[in-house]
Amino acid sequence: MYKHQNSRSSGSFGWVMQRVSGIVLVVVMIGHYILMHYHPENGHTYEAVLARMQSNWYRVLDLTFIVLGMYHGLNGVWSIFRDYRLKQWQSITILSLIIIFGLAFTLWGIKTILDIPYINGGSTAFFGN
Amino acid sequence: MAEYKTFNQKNWIKTNLDYRKDTGSWAWIFHRISGIALIGYLFLHIYSVSSLSQGRTAFNKFMEHYTGTFFSILEWLLFAFVLFHSLNGVRIVLVDWADGAKYHKSLYRFSIAVGLILFFAMGYIMFSHEIIKLFASH
Repeated sequence: MYKHQNSRSSGSFGWVMQRVSGIVLVVVMIGHYILMHYHPENGHTYEAVLARMQSNWYRVLDLTFIVLGMYHGLNGVWSIFRDYRLKQWQSITILSLIIIFGLAFTLWGIKTILDIPYINGGSTAFFGN
Repeated sequence: MAEYKTFNQKNWIKTNLDYRKDTGSWAWIFHRISGIALIGYLFLHIYSVSSLSQGRTAFNKFMEHYTGTFFSILEWLLFAFVLFHSLNGVRIVLVDWADGAKYHKSLYRFSIAVGLILFFAMGYIMFSHEIIKLFASH
């Protein structure tokens, strides 16, 4: 059996999560594409986004989409690097960059969604907005 | 006994290219390329949508730059990457968890066929106005 280098974990948790998040992403991606492209204006105007974001369900869906997409993507990038025999300083640098940029862009995306205003004075109900 | 060559770490690009490639190797290569492209696009996407925070005029003005045939074609090509990565991702899950190693080659061909159909269907949805105009003028 090959002894893994540069890591104390075998990576099996990441391996399972990559498949689980991938399956969820495929399902959400189908909805995303129907929503964005069935009518061209749906995905490309402020009015359409504002109307959609009045529902907290859409907000939660989009937040999940950002977090899962970022996790799946960056876990994938890291797993590519793990295929090569990196020196310790190299893997520390690469992993740090992945985590820093991943967190920064994830938080930026979350902020973008939370910044979109509610039209009728900040209702936080899940239904009937 | 077969002889095994030791992996040439110094010249790994050439070593990789020298391998004989079958269905699975191509799927692996394209999965990586499309994956890297998609995470790159996700960063770009978060950046571009962030102008939502600056309100209606800023966002609509920003989006005006990214409309038109050229960007529609880029979006369509992006869909090809999404399709390959999704369909091959499902294939990987089936290979890992559903005995897919026994039928992974036909699964690959099936995914490519389904992907091509969905790609052109999306092309029709995205460009239907232009396509209708093209035939109406004659």
